[in-house]
Amino acid sequence: MKRLVFLGAALAVSTMSTGAALSFEGSSLVAPDCNYGGKISAIRATDEHTVTFTMCAADPAFEAKAAFVSFGIQPSEHLATVGTTKDILTNPIGTGPFKLDAWNRGDSIILKRNDGYWGNKSPYETLVFRWSTSGAGQLNELRSGTVDQISTLSPDDFDAVKNDPDLQFLPQSGPNTLYLGMTNTFEPFNNVKVRQAIAMGIDRQRIVDNYFPDGSEVASHFTPCTIPNGCAGEAWYGFDPVAAKALLAEAGFPEGFKTKIYYRDVFRTYLPEPSTMAVEIQSQLKAIGIDAEVSPMESGEFIGQASAGNLDGFYLLGWGADYPHITNFLDYHFGKDTKQFGASIPEIHEALTKGSSIANVDEAKPVYEQANNAIREFVPMVPISHAAAGSAARSYVKNANYRPFGAKQFSTVDPGKDTMIVMQNAEPISLYCGDESDGESTLVCTQITETLLDYAQDSGEVVGGLATGCEANADATEWTCHLREGVKFTDGSAFDANDVVASYAAGIDVSNPSHVGNTGAFDYFSSLWGLMNAPAQ
Amino acid sequence: MTSLNIASAQAAANVMEDGLLGDPVPLWKQTLKRLLRKRSGQVGMFLIGFMVLVAIFAPLIAPYDPNQVLIGIEDVKRRDPPCVHMLGCDVSRPQHIMGIDGNSRDVFSRLVYGAQISLMIGVVTVTIALIVGVFLGAIAGYFGGWTDNLIMRCMDVILGFPALLLAIAIVAVLGPGIVNALLAISVVSVPGYARVTRASVLSVKSQDFVAASRVLGGSKWRILFTRVLPNALTPIVVLATMGVAGGILEAAGLSFLGLGAQPPTPEWGTMLGTEKDQMFSSPHLVFFPGIAIVITVLGFNLLGDGLRDALDPRLNS
Repeated sequence: MKRLVFLGAALAVSTMSTGAALSFEGSSLVAPDCNYGGKISAIRATDEHTVTFTMCAADPAFEAKAAFVSFGIQPSEHLATVGTTKDILTNPIGTGPFKLDAWNRGDSIILKRNDGYWGNKSPYETLVFRWSTSGAGQLNELRSGTVDQISTLSPDDFDAVKNDPDLQFLPQSGPNTLYLGMTNTFEPFNNVKVRQAIAMGIDRQRIVDNYFPDGSEVASHFTPCTIPNGCAGEAWYGFDPVAAKALLAEAGFPEGFKTKIYYRDVFRTYLPEPSTMAVEIQSQLKAIGIDAEVSPMESGEFIGQASAGNLDGFYLLGWGADYPHITNFLDYHFGKDTKQFGASIPEIHEALTKGSSIANVDEAKPVYEQANNAIREFVPMVPISHAAAGSAARSYVKNANYRPFGAKQFSTVDPGKDTMIVMQNAEPISLYCGDESDGESTLVCTQITETLLDYAQDSGEVVGGLATGCEANADATEWTCHLREGVKFTDGSAFDANDVVASYAAGIDVSNPSHVGNTGAFDYFSSLWGLMNAPAQ
Repeated sequence: MTSLNIASAQAAANVMEDGLLGDPVPLWKQTLKRLLRKRSGQVGMFLIGFMVLVAIFAPLIAPYDPNQVLIGIEDVKRRDPPCVHMLGCDVSRPQHIMGIDGNSRDVFSRLVYGAQISLMIGVVTVTIALIVGVFLGAIAGYFGGWTDNLIMRCMDVILGFPALLLAIAIVAVLGPGIVNALLAISVVSVPGYARVTRASVLSVKSQDFVAASRVLGGSKWRILFTRVLPNALTPIVVLATMGVAGGILEAAGLSFLGLGAQPPTPEWGTMLGTEKDQMFSSPHLVFFPGIAIVITVLGFNLLGDGLRDALDPRLNS
């Protein structure tokens, strides 16, 4: 079996023969050097069922990222032929539990069961995706029984769904955090006592009880507990308005002070009603003597000013996880170069730097305890809640629940009939998810293509996917993934290490002929790994 | 002297008709009398009077502070529907005749205080627009020539934009807030007053008593402001009354879009805007502010209609 993957002129295309698989010639993707700014130095198919990723620097989040749906594996021949054209957008070949049968533009996408699937096969034959932009429209279709499951549900309809015996409510414990930000370069937030007072003066339980749907939690730490090491260390301050007032007086503000609460009026899972929440925070601050004016801002302007550290008051912002690793939460917000909360705090970012090079979760635990305790002590912001989202299905659908990370896999669902119809918010943009980032595309891709690793059904853990597992060397600079044997693509070809190299090369290597995609932006390849061989600007 | 000033040809005719030639009744008294004779005038006066009383006595009428969050104070949930004891709501539950809003505040109290804000917005916008518009229109109409051209072409430019869109643009530049919304609405309503004033001044200035004043040697400005303008005000009064309704509506529109009054101000448009998504799940949150706007706007429109009829001599013969 010979497969040669063309990897572009600037790259070394090497073949290696190994003793284990006599006829196997492994391909590789090698960056000339690590100066291109990305994370990957080389990806090599060392034998038919082993792929080695050599990193430019330690990357303990490797496994979490490798499970992300954008890095789905397609056959190398398919990528070398169809992948060089836009045809790949509507013709995905994967190893997943379903294969594409028909895409009726503007109406539906029909998937058929992959009878040769290596894992648990789907109990039903046909999976149909439809779409409607209106939440009310989706719920109407579900009520009338024309669809079996819908992807989004407005928090206002939660109760209606729960009280309907024909429907079931599906909680989505999405890892996200809402926080009340402060910029420590402005008066009076430059005083740590003021920030601590606010940490104690906000009744977060009241907010979660009254403003968030059931299943939402008060944030005990900035990172949700579903993320490994997320809630290492001491839990957040309890609500104590008396202590808060005393601390404010001690800091020199016995009468409180005047400030603003900035927010953007945009619906997010972590903040379903921004203006209502701002008013609630305003009234709570008033109780400890702080007179805050509510000040909505334009969305882009707000994000820009907040991340530049230019907001002189409180601001309401949140974060939803891209991948289940603590670095995605902490390093982004409290890293050395982050200006969002003003001057970065050495006690926090030094621990983070240390933690980001430790691959083993248990080994990293003490370091993240230290980081979380420092966040608690210096209060760059007040974490408020981890919000629950929800969706709904007909009550006869079994196992309809969502998992915390990754799009839902519908092969685990059993509607008790031959066809399952799912309605989501919009038509997928394309079915080549290497170059898509919208949830509608990735939900359908998840049924067709698979990634090296996968997210567990009930936690943020990473489990085996097309690879039974990946292991790191001592300093997490090299990851070796052992591929599952006997897996076949739905076009009949066998899955091996060269397919992995080819799929990653198509996304990462700009000079690769298969690096075409839809827009050519390859957002997730670019932001999680970095693109190599990009033409000089 | 004063009564002579007012005694334009129209007024004189009215006075004669009333058979009080020797003892003229002031125009405003006649107008009021005629206004109250018409159904639309009666209803309009009643609605506005009601709203004004509500606004003045808001602290006495409202059972709660409009911004008081009732979480932990009473056993109420966010967006609870209205609970009226007289209509069979359990007496053990706290009474909220218009329900609870998204921040657990009493909707009725907010609505009552909202009357203050809406009336204030209506009156202030019209006052600003009236002063500027009447001044510009009077100058344009009386002096004519290039002054007229310059002023009225500028007004035409403003009129060229849809009023609400222009107001949105102005607020977008100045930044959201109730004061900026007031200014924006005033600016977009100026051309209306300017045009009507100009037309009215044009017709009055050609009348004999103006010519008489001119012959007597009155200065241009003096004639304009003491002879012409007072006699040209009738259509402007009607327009201003209706303008209050328009101002309230536009301010509510801007607030609905988040550009006017900012939370937690209990402004009716803001109340509608923040709760618009709850139209089906908690209809009371959009129904009551909507009704409040309708009643107030209807009141001013009816009064405007009534005034127009009362001030029109042809309808009073």
